[in-house]
This record gives sequence, C-alpha cells and structure tokens, in this order.
Amino acid sequence: MKMYDCVPGLEFDPERDFEQSPAWFLDGTHSVPPWTPMFGWFWINFCRHGMQYGAEKLSLPTVKGWDWRFMNGGGYLTLLLVNSEEEKQRREEKFRKEILPFIQDYEGLWKGYVDEILGLYENLKALDLDEATNIELLDNFEETINTCRRMWEIHMYMMYGTYTAYILFENMCRELAGIDDTSPLFHNLVSGFDNKVFQVDRRLWECSKRAQEDGLADIFLENEPANIAAALATSEKGKAFMKDFMDFMNEDGWRMQRMSEINLPTWVEDPTPALGNVKQFLLKGGDFNLDERRQQNAEKREAAEKEVLAKVPEEQRGWFEQLMRLAQKCGIFSEEHDHYLDLYTHAVMRRSALGVGRRWVKAGAIDDPEDMFFLMPDEVRRAALAPDQFNMRYIVDRRKAEWKEWQKTPNPPALLKEGFDLDQAMGVLVQSNDPIALKVVVGAMPEVRPELKADLYGTCGSPGMAEGTARVIMTEDELHLVEEGDILVAATTSPSWTPIFSMIKGVIVDRGASLSHAAIVGREYGIPVVMNVFEGTQKIKSGQRVKVDANLGTVYILDK
Amino acid sequence: MAEKWIYWFDELRTTDNDMVGKKCANLGEMVHLGMRVPPGFAISVDGYEQFMETTGAGAEVRKYLEQNQDDLVNKVDKQIEASRFIRGVIESRPMPPDMIQELWSHYDRLCEQTICEDVPVAARSSGAVSMPGQMETYLNVCGKKNLADKVVQVWGSAFTTRAIAFRLEQGMALDKAPIGVAVLKMIEARCAGVTLTVLPTTGDLSKIVVEGNWGLGESVVSGEITPDSFVIDKQSGEIVSTIGDKTKMVVYKDTGTCIINVPEDQQTCACLVKEEIEEIVRIAKMVEAHFDTPQDMEWVIAPDPPFPDNIYWVQTRPAKFSQKKEDTAEYLAELMTRVFKM
Repeated sequence: MKMYDCVPGLEFDPERDFEQSPAWFLDGTHSVPPWTPMFGWFWINFCRHGMQYGAEKLSLPTVKGWDWRFMNGGGYLTLLLVNSEEEKQRREEKFRKEILPFIQDYEGLWKGYVDEILGLYENLKALDLDEATNIELLDNFEETINTCRRMWEIHMYMMYGTYTAYILFENMCRELAGIDDTSPLFHNLVSGFDNKVFQVDRRLWECSKRAQEDGLADIFLENEPANIAAALATSEKGKAFMKDFMDFMNEDGWRMQRMSEINLPTWVEDPTPALGNVKQFLLKGGDFNLDERRQQNAEKREAAEKEVLAKVPEEQRGWFEQLMRLAQKCGIFSEEHDHYLDLYTHAVMRRSALGVGRRWVKAGAIDDPEDMFFLMPDEVRRAALAPDQFNMRYIVDRRKAEWKEWQKTPNPPALLKEGFDLDQAMGVLVQSNDPIALKVVVGAMPEVRPELKADLYGTCGSPGMAEGTARVIMTEDELHLVEEGDILVAATTSPSWTPIFSMIKGVIVDRGASLSHAAIVGREYGIPVVMNVFEGTQKIKSGQRVKVDANLGTVYILDK
Repeated sequence: MAEKWIYWFDELRTTDNDMVGKKCANLGEMVHLGMRVPPGFAISVDGYEQFMETTGAGAEVRKYLEQNQDDLVNKVDKQIEASRFIRGVIESRPMPPDMIQELWSHYDRLCEQTICEDVPVAARSSGAVSMPGQMETYLNVCGKKNLADKVVQVWGSAFTTRAIAFRLEQGMALDKAPIGVAVLKMIEARCAGVTLTVLPTTGDLSKIVVEGNWGLGESVVSGEITPDSFVIDKQSGEIVSTIGDKTKMVVYKDTGTCIINVPEDQQTCACLVKEEIEEIVRIAKMVEAHFDTPQDMEWVIAPDPPFPDNIYWVQTRPAKFSQKKEDTAEYLAELMTRVFKM
C-alpha cells in the first residue's frame, strides 16, 4: 500500500514551492527539535489555517497570513502578500471596522474566546477514554481535530489584532515620547500585570509555603523531583498534600514541558516538573516573596506611565492613554494565550491520541500508545472502529525511523531559491509589515557598538544589569541544571520555562522580539533580558562568568 | 492718496490677510481656486487708517482712550459709553474727497460689471484677527452716497462695546483696529446653506455633508430650523438625503434681514436638486484638496442665472470637528492602518 506523506498536500516540494515563494523560513521557535509526524500534521494544517483565517477576518491590508510547509519535522513558512494597491485599499477600509472590537472591549473579546475554548476542552475531557466505545474514542479524536482548528482561529485572529495595537503603541511612543521597545522605560510601561501564567506560578509558590508549614520541606529538598511524589506518599500529611496538588494539576496542569509537541507527559500525567518547581521555590528560602516582586513592578509601571504621559502633548493624551491600556493588555495576552490555547490544546490532543493508542495496544494494532504520534488522522480513522483488524506497525516503524533521522541533522534555517539570499528574504519579511513576523519572528536588529567592547550585542528585552554564572540550556530536559543566581543562555524560551525565571538573575537569548516569551516574563520578574544576540548559545559555555547590561544590549564574558 | 487701498478680489490671496482682513483675503483665495464668489472689492486696513488720520478721528479717539483707558477694565457701563463716544466721533467725519473718489470709481466699475445701476451691495467687516460677531455688516446698500456712509459705519463698528471688551480681555491695543471691509454684490438667495467635507460629529473623513434651507444661509447656521441634510460619500458619490421640515426662512429686508414663513407647499420639498448637490460636492472636494484639510463652507444659490452659474460661495475655512471620546476608537483604528504602511 502507498504510504501517505506526513502532511499530505503540505510537504515541501522545491519544484512547486519555490515558484510560489523564493524563501521559506524555518519556525525555529516551535519546530526545533523536529516534530513528531502527528504533531507536525496538526501544526502545519491548523496554524496555517489560523493565520490565514485571522488575516482574512481582520482584513489586514498588506498580508493574507502565512503559508506553511512540512519538511523533515520542521515547519517552514512564507508570507502571503497582498499584491495590488487597489486591493490593499479595499482591505484597509474593511480593516478599520474589523479592528474596532479590539479597541472597544479587548477584555470582553478575549474572555469570550477563553470561555469558548475552555468549553471545548471540557467536552473532550468529559469522556472516560478507557471506558469509551471505539465510536466514542474516534468521535473524541475528531472533536480534538476540530478543537485544534478552532484554537488556531482564535489564536491568530487575537494575535494579529493584538500585535497591531502593540506596534502602533510602540510607534506612537517613539513619535510622541521618544522611546521605543528597546528602551527600559518602555518596558516598565508594559509590565507589572497579573496573568494566568503567573497565577499558576503563584500557586506553585503557595504550595512551597504549604510544604514548609506541613513539615514536608525536607522531602522536597532531599529527593530528586522524580522521586518526590513517591516520598510524599509515605506520610499522611504528604498524601493530603499530593491530593490537593493533583487537584491543582487537573485544573492548571494541562501543559507539557515543550510547548509545541505532544510526546512528553502533561503535568496531569506526571507532576514531576511541577513538583520540581515547588522544590526550586523551597530552595530560595522563606524570605522570597513573589507578591512583593510583582508589586514593585506595578509601582514602576505607574511611575513610567506618569513620565511618558507627561511627554505627550495634552490634546493627544486621551487617545494615547487608551492605546497604552490596550498595549498593556497585549503583554497579558501574549502570556495567557500560551496557557489557554497552545499548551492546553496540545495537552488534550495528547490525551485523546493516547486514549486511542491504549485501545489499539489492547487490540494488537500497535505496540505502545505513544506510537500514535507517528500516525496521521486518516490512518487513525482507518483502524479506529475495528483496531483488531489492522496492523499499523509498518507505518509506525517507518515513520519513527524517519523521525529519528530528522533529529540527527538540524533543519536549515531557511529554504531559499537559487540566487536568493537571506538578507533579501528578511527584507520581504519586514516589508510585509506583518505584525506577528515583526514582533515574534524578526525583532529589532542589534546595534554593534565597538566602543562598548562587548562580546555579544543584542537588544533590550527587559531592562537591568546582572552578573552571574552562565547556564546554557538547549532543551526543557536540562532545566533542572539551572541554579539560583544563574544567567540563563538559550536559543529561545517557552512558557513552561516560566518558573525558573524566579531563580535566575538574567537571560540571554539568540532570537527574540519585544513580545517573545523571554522578554515578557523577564519584565514581569524584573530581570534583564538581552535578545537577538544570535550566537549566545555558541559563544557562551555553561559555568563561565557573564555580565549583561540589557539597557545597552551588551553581554560580556568575564572569564574567557 | 498715493497708496493703493482698494483691491478687486482677484488681486488678493490668503497671504494678504493682514492687509485686507481675513474675509477679503479668503474671498480672494476662493476666486483663485475657481470658486464663484459674489463680485466685489476689498477696502484694506490702510484705507481705515488713512481715514482715521486724515479726518483727525484717530487723534481724537487716542486722546479719549488715554484719558479713559484705566476706567474701562471690567466696567461695562464705561465700555458702552466709550463705544458710543468713539463711534460718534468716527461716524461724524465724512470720508475725505479723494477717498470718496476712489471708492466710487470702484463702485461704478462694479455696477458696470453686474450690469445694474446702483447695484445693491453688502458692506461686511473683515478683521485681520478673528473677532467673531463683534463688528457690523450692512446689507442691501444701494448707491454711492449710501455706500460711503456705510463703509464709515463699518469702520466705526471696530469700537462696538463687544469689540472693546474683547480687545481689553485679550490685552490688545484699544486704539488699533485692523479692520478691512468687503463690498460685495448682494446675491438673492433661492436657497443657501453650509457644506462640511467631514462629518463633524464622528470625524468621518469619507463623507461630505450639505445642509440647506430656502432663503439666506443664516437660518441654517443659527440652527433655528431643521434644514435639509444631504450626506455624500466622497468616493462613490452616493447621496443620502434627509428632508427637513423647513417652516421658516430668512430673507433680505431693507438694510437687514427678517424671518418669514416658508410657503406650505415648499416646507418639505428638497431645496437642492441632484445636479446642484453634485456641483457643490465637486467644488468642496477640490477646495478641501487644495487646503489639505477638511473645510467648512457657505454657499448661496441665486434664482438666476441658470445652473451652474447661480452657485455662489461666500466662505470657506478649516472645519472644526471634535475628536469626541466615543470616536477615539475609530481614530485609533485609523492610526492602526498606519502600522501596515511603514
């Protein structure tokens, strides 16, 4: 039997696809290391759909979203540009109306979508997968596909609208107050807000306080995270703690260590990472107070607001302030959407696929429930209602072998048509004025200032200065290596890394823009973040002393 | 009388504001834009000053003010007294013969141009700084002698009580009155009104609004009646009409105006026809493009000559439209389109 591609119709085809666009960029933030085939299928199909949906619903004047292709576990993207001036004008006219809901009632808009998507998750979670019939299992999987599709629609519609407002605010700050998104004052303006990701973080911190009070601190301190749950189960107090902890996980633990993949356990399945976070808070000692830190940020923000508003001409202040409030919500959205959208959806995708997988193992179609991640929806449908009739191993084996190959050689950062170079390609990206491309993918380019004699130059993601031991972390698995007072060095960071931000003194990331995760979280934790240094993970070695001055965008390696 | 102090409108531009006052300079600019304005001429601020100096009125006014200036601040009764005295001084002086000659020769030319003996004109004040409603306007002035008297009276109106109070409040010199006079042919109005190249309530720049009523434009400006309202889409030209219940209208009477009832059969009849609206919109768009800012314009449609030569423009100025709070959203939406144009 002929075997399908991983993502039928959207596999990269140099012959055809270079005709459409001369440059395809690797989504390094989400598809390094390479995706499992099933996850790739979901992402390529629906992230692609969501971007085009969002751009179309908002009628963005210059861009119709992005097109995506799959190649060796990597996601490659290119922009769909509006070509004629006439069409741009037509789209712009509609855009003026379509953007209004964001301006008039941002919170209502976002809350409506959060409620909608949480409702979809509840429906999926309501089914007891191990008791369900085959028909119900397949229905659950189909509904998961629909949920993922809807999630991406909400995700990209919200993100395009939100980032447009944020970029306008940045421009207006530059025009009216002379500050931009690499300025510390600007960052003070948009930080100091509560959001769902911090609320989860705060609950973990509260768990650490409870562990202390219940006399359980030593169990955390003396055990490796993986053994903490078992050690707690030996005492009554420990059992009670774990019961409440698992209730908390069932509410807020729908996430995996890697944001854009489904092949790692969720906190609901295995709370080890979350217990590890509690341990880290305990290591910080009793005087650490998360609330106090947040309060300080809020005060800094209020002072920054006053300072900036005073620079704005009085007759412009009314709308400027409204725009500022809107931009401040952009940061909240940037963090919260990861929790409610990406992480949660991927967790329920994993849940549903594993439910089918367990049934198939019993029926003899595959050997391991996680083998499902090497199949695609059409193949799931093939065997779902009568799994005992099919042997799916030959597909799993072949795809798994391919997937292992993909892990060995990194995917190229861009696929370029002959005669087209990366600078030209980046130029197209910038010209599109695509808000997501500008705020997440490209970011501001660092200015090299030889007089500062720095080892690396980047841009300011979060203001401040710090000195400490460098800790180069390439994947989530290495997070436990981070120690109190370290300077984190990474290619990029994701929301599941948030808890370690309370331990570290600074962050250096290879790529990022002002709405990247590292920048937002750095600002909320009040630690300096230097972004877009490009070669941080190559030049810096774990254990070296480094000094960062985010205000200047400089990194110094002190013991070379 | 060496210096030129009377100008035909087509000799003037906006830049002549200080020389002839705002209204006259504006009318000059309108002529240059190809707008039809009532034929006429402008008397410059110099004309006023020459009159004041040669007749000795200026010296007398200064002397009076020197003696009384301190008493005038915040004392309305003193201001009324000053106004009465100064206007009396000015109006009691006849215009010097050489100035009369100059004025009359222009009036004669105007009569020739308009093919009308003793053509009725309006003598309107034209301040170089905006002093809304403080100075007088005389309508329906016929014949040379009458005109000379009314011009002097307009000059005198630089010292109305309101004008004195205004100058005191603003800390402006009392004895200086930069006042020009516009002398224009009276245009009989079949109907008249205003045109704004922006919706003043929402700041919507894609629309033009035309409001009109039978008779003179005063009824539309004052807001005493509900005029006809036409909202025109600048791009498509689509017209949305709302016909008002126009019970009253303003007409000329003697040297002023009066309010009369509109005949019943005309009250709910549109005062403009489509081709007139389209011509008004065409001109309005052109003027807005020229000044590069939304305009607030006044027009008059005369019973004759035939369309389109019966459409006269009497005013155009930058429109005031407030960015109200509820419109901030639309304003921000407009700004957000800029994000895609960087």
